[in-house]
Amino acid sequence: MKHSLTVALKNQSVAVERFLRVVRHRGFNLTHFQLNMDDGQYHVAMTVDSDKPIHLLTTQLNKLVDVKQVTLENLHQQAM
Amino acid sequence: MTGAELTIDLLAKHGVNEVFGYPGGAIMPIYDALYGAPVKHYLTRHEQGAGFAAVGFARSTGKLGVCFATSGPGATNLITALADAMMDSVPLLAITGQVPTAAIGSDAFQEIDVLGMSLSCTKHSYMVERSEDLAEILQEAMHLAQSGRPGPVLVDIPKDIQMAQVPFHPWLAADDYLPVLDLNQVAIANQLLSEAKQPVAYVGGGVQAADAQAQLMQFLEKTQMPAVSTLKALGSVLPDYEYHLGMLGMHGGQAANLAVQECDVLVCIGARFDDRVTGNLGKFAAKAKVIHLDIDAAEVGKRKPAKASLIADLKSSLPQLECFVTEQAWLAHTKAMMTEYAWRYDYPGEKVFAPYLLNQLSQRMPQNGVVCCDVGQHQMWVAQHMKFSHPSNHLSSGGAGTMGFGLPAAIGAQVARPNDFVITVSGDGSIMMNIQELATIRRNNLPVKILILDNQRLGMVRQWQELFFEGRYSETDLSDNPDFVQLAAVFGIPGQTITHANQVDDAITALVNSEGPYIVHACIDDKENVWPLVPPGAANDEMMTESAK
Repeated sequence: MKHSLTVALKNQSVAVERFLRVVRHRGFNLTHFQLNMDDGQYHVAMTVDSDKPIHLLTTQLNKLVDVKQVTLENLHQQAM
Repeated sequence: MTGAELTIDLLAKHGVNEVFGYPGGAIMPIYDALYGAPVKHYLTRHEQGAGFAAVGFARSTGKLGVCFATSGPGATNLITALADAMMDSVPLLAITGQVPTAAIGSDAFQEIDVLGMSLSCTKHSYMVERSEDLAEILQEAMHLAQSGRPGPVLVDIPKDIQMAQVPFHPWLAADDYLPVLDLNQVAIANQLLSEAKQPVAYVGGGVQAADAQAQLMQFLEKTQMPAVSTLKALGSVLPDYEYHLGMLGMHGGQAANLAVQECDVLVCIGARFDDRVTGNLGKFAAKAKVIHLDIDAAEVGKRKPAKASLIADLKSSLPQLECFVTEQAWLAHTKAMMTEYAWRYDYPGEKVFAPYLLNQLSQRMPQNGVVCCDVGQHQMWVAQHMKFSHPSNHLSSGGAGTMGFGLPAAIGAQVARPNDFVITVSGDGSIMMNIQELATIRRNNLPVKILILDNQRLGMVRQWQELFFEGRYSETDLSDNPDFVQLAAVFGIPGQTITHANQVDDAITALVNSEGPYIVHACIDDKENVWPLVPPGAANDEMMTESAK
């Protein structure tokens, strides 16, 4: 199932690296990724694909110190 | 003040009086600042030893453990300890030297991308890019390692920043983001508890992390709820609690596993449904409605769905549970299982029977002693046959299962608790993984005791080869081990070898009474296995036992 998320990150290269590592390790494939910088933060819009429920990713991303906010865009697809 | 001086100064201000480490080129300014400083440095003989000593220090006290290493191989040698601390939620600060800023990215001598390597094995990590950020980063790092769910934090400091003049700005920790209890979930949990006929409390390492043993025991004593413990929780439930069924999981006791399989409400208190605990997850506690208490929202629903989730510090969430007294029929049933499946120590042979030895050691060593395990059969026997009054007295590499953990962890525990009895229980495989730390014991005159259970095999792997690989004993024969007592003697550590059951009592007497370090090398049967065992893919009520194998 595909899920679209937006993520606000601290504007450091390692923040993106750290966050993408979690996406891969927790079993979510990136199908779309867009990175912008605004207001001194990185803003990521991405789509991931996985058989796993999306909360397994969002809860892990929310734990990262560099991650300021995680928003799931298509809530109707959220599998809990 | 230089960056190096500031680093040591901030550690001291934070109450860090002991650090473990190993010097090298890129961290020399920090070692220079250590010279004559009030922070005492313990030189280990390998950076992995320093990492595990810091883990042992942290786990035996609940305080921050700190380790130092140089760039490149110094830092890579720390990685295993960081991974171990990550898996077991240990508050650890690792400070590594890095090549000078201008050399980063040039493949300089002893340059490794330590920040990149740290991403998967730390709670957070930093490379200091500007000298003016150093003070804030170090203070934030110490805070992060200990806040919320604890974990390892790494700070990589280039050599030029260690040598630069740096400003000091006190950093005030932002208010911790602590999750606020959802009262609707509390109500659901209490409704489930009120309806429970056969509840079980499943206790995990979170109790130690939250320092919530008192709240746990208050809940258990009021409810009389049967309790089971994970490997990391051992000691959280006090040994005299009548309804503690012991450890559950792959090598858990039969009463513990069967009670969980039969329960209708499972109260998970700071545990994470690890695969070694659950066996076949689909069949684990299949009839149970789960109430999950944890500070980490990512653990709730990760492996098993919860009917009620209390995401908060256990100190605040446990008192929210209503205390309904457990029904007598269920208590009688669990007590009967405890009696039926009680451990037996009437070993028929003349050889040393490891479970008996450990049970005797447990009874005769000082009550507040610390046992540091390595990994393998001996680790499971310690968990099964020794009793602990606090989780900080049982240090065992749980999530990572790292051989080589025990000896350096014991060094860290002994440094942290110099007046307490500290012993490492190891195997003939594990002890060789960080054997160089005998030199650290000698150098610091640490009274660490060592018990090696020697079956001349990588026993746990051999057991699996016997049971699941048709007896094809590939690379598990260690019958060419060195003489461990002679080896210890080279480091000035006295000891003895025992081979017969009738030598056990005297050997324990020597261990317990020795004022300095002491080693007992116990030769055990090379075919002894750990029972019971939940085979791979099986449910926890499908345990193999010695008679049924």
